[in-house]
Amino acid sequence: MDFSLTKEQRDLIESVKTMAAEEITPFALQEGSIHKEKMLISLAQMNLLCPTVPKEFGGLGLDLFSTALVVEELAAASPGLAAVVAATLHAAEPIILAGNDQQKKEFLPLLTGSKAGAAAFALTEPEGGSDLNIISTHATSDHNGYLLNGCKDYVINAGIARFITVVAATNMRNKKASLRIFLIPDHVAGIKIEEIYHTSGINLAPVGRVRFVDVNIIGQYVIKSRQAGSGYLLLTQTFDVGRALVSALSVGIARAALEEALNFAENRMQSGGSIKKHQAVSFALADMATKIEMARLMTWKACWLIDHGGDYSVASAMAKLASSTIAQEVTCLAADIMGARGYIKGTLIEQLVRDARVLSTIEGTNHIQRMVISSQL
Amino acid sequence: MSFRDIGMKIQAAREEKGLSQEQLARLVGCSQSALSNYEKGKRRLYLSQLEKMAEVLDKPLEYFVESLSSQHHPQPAIDRNERFVKLVNHLSRLSDEEINEVMKYISYLEWKRSGGD
Repeated sequence: MDFSLTKEQRDLIESVKTMAAEEITPFALQEGSIHKEKMLISLAQMNLLCPTVPKEFGGLGLDLFSTALVVEELAAASPGLAAVVAATLHAAEPIILAGNDQQKKEFLPLLTGSKAGAAAFALTEPEGGSDLNIISTHATSDHNGYLLNGCKDYVINAGIARFITVVAATNMRNKKASLRIFLIPDHVAGIKIEEIYHTSGINLAPVGRVRFVDVNIIGQYVIKSRQAGSGYLLLTQTFDVGRALVSALSVGIARAALEEALNFAENRMQSGGSIKKHQAVSFALADMATKIEMARLMTWKACWLIDHGGDYSVASAMAKLASSTIAQEVTCLAADIMGARGYIKGTLIEQLVRDARVLSTIEGTNHIQRMVISSQL
Repeated sequence: MSFRDIGMKIQAAREEKGLSQEQLARLVGCSQSALSNYEKGKRRLYLSQLEKMAEVLDKPLEYFVESLSSQHHPQPAIDRNERFVKLVNHLSRLSDEEINEVMKYISYLEWKRSGGD
């Protein structure tokens, strides 16, 4: 396992950093859809909305390790924007993993090139998230394909997604075994965005509730349509990949908090010197940096295993569990160092504390990660 | 259904086919210890791996992920009796160590049914 970065990876990081400094960071704390649209255009111009899409479908064809580097950089500049990308990657993953050529040709190019858009992944419902036995969204087969009905909640990229990757049961008496993954273009009749929530953090990413009423899905928009029983395994595999990306997002948030706190500590003068010279502050900064390095290495290990066909389930769950916890700790420590300044609405640290809060919830709560890990011990 | 359930189905299908763990592992391209962990539900299976096993074991993919929760639905008595006979036949071919594993799993199922306290 070698984590030394190639020249291409270093160049990639540098180009994302430069773009972020010019086009994202200056607007990251500002409200308003104009800025969000500009940022999405900036990402699209660099083909970064879904970097894992293979080159033949217009993407960069990045492996997950390189993608994690991109996600960390984006999260350090704007966690919300990184969440838009992570959700798009999640929505595309089942297609990349198991989609047929026609599905790849039709859906993946929507996420690439200068006119790329985002995509959404819809699993959680108003009455449940991780327990697939209580999923209520269902698809009944008809002569043409399927008729989908149900409601999905807390869908990241609701309202801006070019397509939604939806998980539904096709047999309500045997839900888990009958799960299927459906690809639904945004223009199909019967999709209703019921609500876009005012979230505490990741504000650039729209999070909402989506209802599906008699949505007609042609058979060719069902992943592995002829292979009953494939949905559950594909879903768990997709989550295992997604967790590594949330881990990278967590590292980016934690890094931004450390950089802000370090800058403050070096310039804040007390008792004749910078507060960084006080051990209470410098030790806290040392702990923060050490934890971030741990989180980053765990993220990279999970990504390396994914890229090299290893057994990555436990590594991904551990990375997500550790990194999200560390991001929450580090952002709070950074706020402590900054004192009252870290409590003012509209400041970076105050925003990062709220952004980090979501990390232990998305892509399976941290208790779910513990269940995944312990079941394989 | 859980990965433990899927693992049990793999083991049952492997035994039905008369293959040892080593033989099946070789046919699907994984190590014997990996296969052992799949069967115990201690290692997650991905779609491509289960597809290979399904092919080698001549079973549709659905067979492995069919919920054991179907046992919650009443089964016809004759079907249930036939399954008991089949189960006893399977048990009679197991080693003492393997029977201990089955007993452990039965204890686990009883614990789960009682609410897991």
